[in-house]
Order: sequence, then structure tokens, then C-alpha cells
Amino acid sequence: MRTILMLVKKEFLQVFRNSLLWKILLIAPLAEFILFPFTADYEIKKLNIAFIDYDHSTTTREIQNEFVASGYFVSYGNINSQKEARSLMQRDVIDFIVEFPCDFERKIITNEYTQIAVTANAINSVKAGIGTNYVQTVLFDYISSLAESFGVESQLTNITITNIYWFNEQMNYKNLIVPGILVILVTLIGAYVTALNLVREKELGTIEQINVTPIKKWQFLLGKMIPFWILGMGEFIIGLGIMYLVFGITIQGSFWLLLFATSIYLFVMLGLGFFISSVSENQLQAMFVVFFLFIVFVLLSGLFTPIEGMPSWAQYVNYLNPMSFFMDIIKLVILKASNIHDIKIQLLVLTGMAIVINTAALLSYREKVK
Amino acid sequence: MKAIEIENLNKIYNNRVQALSDVSFYVSEGEVFGLVGPDGGGKSTIFNILATLLLPTSGQASVLSRDVVNDAKIIRQLIGYLPGVFSLYPDLTVEENLIFFATMYKSRIKDNLPLIRPIWKQLVPFKDRRAGKLSGGMKQKLALCCALIHKPALLLLDEPTTGVDPVSRAEFWDILTNIQKQGITVLVSTPYMDEATRCDRIALIQEGKIIKIDTPTNIMEAYRGFLYTIKVENVFSVMEKLKEFDFPCNYYPYGQELHIAFYEAPEIVLQKFCSFLREQNIKFEELSPIQPTIEDCFIELVKLK
Repeated sequence: MRTILMLVKKEFLQVFRNSLLWKILLIAPLAEFILFPFTADYEIKKLNIAFIDYDHSTTTREIQNEFVASGYFVSYGNINSQKEARSLMQRDVIDFIVEFPCDFERKIITNEYTQIAVTANAINSVKAGIGTNYVQTVLFDYISSLAESFGVESQLTNITITNIYWFNEQMNYKNLIVPGILVILVTLIGAYVTALNLVREKELGTIEQINVTPIKKWQFLLGKMIPFWILGMGEFIIGLGIMYLVFGITIQGSFWLLLFATSIYLFVMLGLGFFISSVSENQLQAMFVVFFLFIVFVLLSGLFTPIEGMPSWAQYVNYLNPMSFFMDIIKLVILKASNIHDIKIQLLVLTGMAIVINTAALLSYREKVK
Repeated sequence: MKAIEIENLNKIYNNRVQALSDVSFYVSEGEVFGLVGPDGGGKSTIFNILATLLLPTSGQASVLSRDVVNDAKIIRQLIGYLPGVFSLYPDLTVEENLIFFATMYKSRIKDNLPLIRPIWKQLVPFKDRRAGKLSGGMKQKLALCCALIHKPALLLLDEPTTGVDPVSRAEFWDILTNIQKQGITVLVSTPYMDEATRCDRIALIQEGKIIKIDTPTNIMEAYRGFLYTIKVENVFSVMEKLKEFDFPCNYYPYGQELHIAFYEAPEIVLQKFCSFLREQNIKFEELSPIQPTIEDCFIELVKLK
């Protein structure tokens, strides 16, 4: 016990004396945490829209004004042909084209069948998807209010589209991205810092001096894990604080459940870091391996693209991705108030991963060389 | 009782490099035993095997009657090891390093303070300084303290004086003599031949083979040649010319001088040698007989092998 406490104390002394590591550990990730959510903005404003109006009626003009009034669109004005529209879109001047046919107004009033064509630039699929939704909303809003004012029983008035976004009522992107970044932070501390730490002892040669002492492998690894586990938990709690103070996101579920899940996840990441560093010879190798895994974890985690949209092989690979399980837990507990029964599968999987990876780390760490 | 027993020890790295071939020697309890030889001779390999950090390819090695392969854990508590490179934590202070390693061996500083006191006294003024900021000599003293803090029965020192200034080196050897008086066996390696004389017995090792094991005095007495030193202007050009001198002799640069050993009828050969030098127009001063040092003995043993 005294041995492990001493190892922990030594590790803390080293962390706090290493002025760079200290900054990397706390200041850099927190700064990122505060800045990044503002840049990863899924809300799209200032979409450039152009109109091809063959009707030239009051209605079409009013619809055009509605688009601008919605605040999401900037009007490029009227253009005369499909050809012109195409070239504008090619030059990225406009994102959307709305085309009104002849007799649009008359047909609306006489309740005849008519169409509006909406063309979207889908180079950025997120932008196109969200923008098309905005276009529809503006059109339906206008047409139903128009029908009302005419006192006409329009077919459209029978249809009302109401979107209710559960667990994220304002469809606020920050509610999704901020917890996601919290996950990334915990992962960075867990895997990156620990992977580099053990390799550094190899490079310095201090590992030899440790190996000739009678301490056991598990004591050594535990002595290395506890400090980084504490740092990781500390960072997570600070992150939750910022999440509340800066972004106003409150934890819907249990705070303690969240800490419990994080502590298990940290053991997975710490074990992974040590496994990588015990099979690497220098910090560069360890860094490349962690970097590679980190990118794969993040991309597959469902933070930026939904897992359901990935090809099936990627979804299978995701069963090995601890980050996607943890991302699930974090979102479920913070946004959906899930309890321990709702996330027990994820918790069990993470526990299993923690056991496997730490056993591997322990076995791969060699005191004796052949 | 033997503190170290090594029999037919072989070490082959990566199935290619033979670092040790059939090394056998023993170290008695209470002895200061020196491994002397050039870099790359296999000294560090022996230390790593004895310190249970490296597995031998074949052969037996035991430390304090325990096998280095099977009883590694027990051996680690009984020995103190100073690796060839400084391997304490540079970002911890002198005192923190000592406390750390004491704890790793489950001992407390105050229990074994008498043992390290003479060395520790010199370190006390720097105890709050980071270990990485110490001078070379001070680093080695701290490393020695850390290796002694659990009162080991055997101390393994792999080139403890390499990169240390001559004054500190002499001081370090005084400390070792003191440690020996406390009943601790010492195995020490060094590339400096002059330090070998401070050991009770030495093993001369080269290319993974032991050439000779004996006391320094015996090794020097067994020197067969008649050794002369000669001062010349350009040692290497003279050595080039000496290739044509066809009497059995052995010459090599020794600092600024040239050492030359004759093996038969020294008076006659010496005369021939002087006339050879004159014929070749080699200017020299001070051609005088000298007592061989351990280094001369080592060179003789290597060349006559």
C-alpha cells in the first residue's frame, strides 16, 4: 500500500513539475472545450437563395419576402433561366433555387394542382438537408396562412407539420456537441498522456531502475493509473461545470451515474494507453498508434455522423469502439435522464473492455528481456 | 560462500550477436571484484543478467545462491544495482529520489542511514535540487545512495565512474572501499585500467570472453615482457616504420608516448632497436624501462592470446 501511494505521489510530482504537460493536461483541452462547440455549428444561417418566377404574381413575391423574413435565407433575387441558375450554383453563389410555374397564384386560389421546384446544392449534404427543411417550412407556413386569409378550405390546411425534437427541444446542436467534446477530452487524458508516460520512462532508462526493485508489475501499473485516473475524473467534472456555466446544459440524469460510467471508461483508456506504451519503443511510435486509434474512435463514435448511417461493416467495427459506447452513455444520461438499467449494456461492455485491455497491458509489460 | 557464481554463461542477441561466450567466474562474499575491458566487451550484458533484467541464452548464473532466472524476485530485494546510464528521475529532487527508492524496497531511510551517511552528507546541501541538475559525480553518489538504501548484500555497479572527473573518481573508489568494510560484496566494471588496481580480483574481458582472472598484483607480476617507454614526435608514423623491425616485440601508443615490450634478450634487442631508430632517422628522447601497468598487462594478454 505504501509502495503504491509512493508511486502515485511520484507521478503527481512529475506531472506538476512538467510545465508543458501540465498545460496540455488542463489548459489546452479546456480552451478547446470552450471554443470548439461554437465552431462545430450545425445550425445554418444565410443560405443564398435565388428564384425563377414564371408567374410574377403577388403571391410569389410575398413568398419570396417570406424567405428573407425567416432569417435563414439571403435572396439573390429573380433570375430568368435554369441555365443561369445552374451557372450561379456552380460558382457557389447560390445554394438554393426555388422555381414557381405559370399560373401559380391562380391555381392556388382555384384549388388546382400546382408544383414548386426546389433545387439544392448538395455538395455539403448537411447544409442541403437542413436547408430543404427550412424551405419546406417557409412554404407551408405561407400557403396555409394564405388559405386561411382567403377563407378557402385548402387541402394544405388539413396538413400541419409539427416537429417535436425530444430530449433536445430546440434542436440545439450544442446539446449534442458539448457532451461529445467532453468524451473526447476524457479519452485524450486517458489514452494519450498515459501512453506517452510509460514510454518516457523507457527512454530515460528509469524503467530499468524500477524493474530491479522488488515491486510487482501490477503495483507499478496501478501506481501509474491512479494519478491519471484522478486527473481524468477531475477534468471531467470541470468539463461538466463548464457545460452548465457556459452552455447552460444541465444533467437530466444522475450525476453519480455519470461519474461511475466515466470512471470505468477511464480505466479502458488508461489500459489502452499502457498497452500501447508497453509495446512501443519510443514516444513517437506510441503517439502515432494512439493518434490513429483516436481518429478511428472519434469518426465511428457517432459524434459527427450518425452510426445508423454507416455501412454495416463499420457498425460491426463499432462494437469494438469504447468511445461509441461511452458517447451513448453520456448523451443518454445528460440529455435523456436514462438510469442505470437503460445503460447497463454499455456499462457491461465497457467493464469487459477494461478487464481485457488491462490484462493485456499487464501481460505485455516485460521486466525481463530475452 | 560465493556471492556470485557464473558457469558457462552464453548470451546471443537476436540469434546473431554473441555478446557472451562461455563466461565462468565467481565472486566471494565480501570481495570487490572488477570486470575490466573495453566497451562492447560484454560487461553490461553480465550486469543485466545478474540484475535479472536479461535472460541468458544458456548457462547458469546465481546470485547469493539463488538462480537469476527462477528467483528473480528474491534476488531483487537482495541486490543494489547501478545501471551504466544515469536512471534516477531527473525531475524529482535528490531527497525525493532517495525516499522513492527506499519505499520501493520497503525500507525506510532512517533504518539504513549509517550505511550511506558518508555519501549522504555530501548530498545534503543539494537535497532540494532536482537530480537532473546535479554534476556527474554527484549524480553517481545519489545513485549509489539509492542503490544502498535497502542495505543490499551485493552491489552491482556498471561503469559507475564513466564520465566522472578524476578527483570524483578517486573519491568514488574510497567510498566503495568503505562499503566493502560494511560487509557488502561489490561487482564493479570499468573501462579505466587504473581503477582495476583498487579491486581485490579482476577479470579481463574482451569480445564476450574472459581472458584472465586474478588479483591485480598477480596479473602485473605475470607480465612476461621487458617494457620500455619512448617519447617520439609522431607516434603513429613511428609505429608505421616499426613494422620493418623484425625482432619479437610489442608496441602501442600510450598517451603521448610509445610503449614497447621486448621478449627475448632485452639488452641485445634494445641495442638493435636503438640502431634501427638511428637508421630510420627517428628522433626520440627518453628511452627508459618502466613497470607495467594493468593496461600493459591487458594488451599483452590480448596480443599473445
